[in-house]
Amino acid sequence: MSGGPGLETLVDQTISVITNDGRNIVGILKGFDQATNIILDESHERVFSTKEGVQQLVLGLYIIRGDNISIVGELDEEIDSTLDWSKMRAHPLKPVIH
Amino acid sequence: MSGRKETVLDLAKFVDKGVQVKLTGGRQVTGTLKGYDQLLNLVLDEAVEFLRDPDDPLKTTDQTRSLGLIVCRGTAVMLVSPTDGTDEIANPFIQPDGA
Amino acid sequence: MASVQLPLSLLKTAQGHPMLVELKNGETYNGHLVNCDTWMNIHLREVICTSKDGDRFWRMPECYIRGNTIKYLRVPDEVIDKVQEETKSRSDRKPPGVGRGRGRGREDGPGGRQPKGIGRGLDDGAKGPGGGRGRGGSGGRAGGNRGGGRGRA
Repeated sequence: MSGGPGLETLVDQTISVITNDGRNIVGILKGFDQATNIILDESHERVFSTKEGVQQLVLGLYIIRGDNISIVGELDEEIDSTLDWSKMRAHPLKPVIH
Repeated sequence: MSGRKETVLDLAKFVDKGVQVKLTGGRQVTGTLKGYDQLLNLVLDEAVEFLRDPDDPLKTTDQTRSLGLIVCRGTAVMLVSPTDGTDEIANPFIQPDGA
Repeated sequence: MASVQLPLSLLKTAQGHPMLVELKNGETYNGHLVNCDTWMNIHLREVICTSKDGDRFWRMPECYIRGNTIKYLRVPDEVIDKVQEETKSRSDRKPPGVGRGRGRGREDGPGGRQPKGIGRGLDDGAKGPGGGRGRGGSGGRAGGNRGGGRGRA
């Protein structure tokens, strides 16, 4: 199994994904393939804004195409759960420009 | 056997019928499908292109131009659908925020 | 590990189910998956297409979408349980290392599970991921006008 994205260790863990269009999607990694297509279960999107708190949109089960993924990161659920999203203000990410 | 080399859509049933084709880059054409190959290169007759909004090239308008007989390069074909039964409709989804 | 899935196996398992597909250009397609291949090319039936700004809608009886134009797919939650069952029964049947390894146990003919008599597919959509609740919002979001819909700067 060489050449894959090396996400084996993150399976069944909560991960944070940043997509090329600037979205941040958080969910449980259920699977992936060589092309970094990933399966996210119980996923939700965090919508950042400078004017209001972070909105969490429930998305459910997602297959995200690898082409569209910029970053996959492990999420520390302990730290994550201490954050007060309603007070958080942040600029939304701009999409990747090819 | 359905998956690997055969395309998931059998274009044979669209031959001599109207199809709508969306191409990468935002062009959109309709025409009568005259031929195709496994790379999804398409031959369309009496093709009509939907012109696009000059301010937003990803949006099509109702203005058209006639292209005649064309070949759509398979690598640029994003989407194929039959024109028969395709209609613009009112918003079928409930939109709580009225966006 | 039974829990690790290939995205394309999940997609295959989702045949016959309603789903939402967003393309790289921001358009979304809600429909029932008829078939898919290893390139993620997909064939949907009873489709509703939404423009990227979420302001125009088209109904189409079917459509073919090239895999590399897809941004993501939203599939019904229950499909993951289904794929896990299938994987399990597969490994029960065949001890690992026996056979050719490439078998995916395709029990399905492409037409076998086509949704029948779903009319416009809208009602189905409400239960499945294709419901498009909040679609408008996400459509606006996907577009160039990030501020639309949700007050994003």
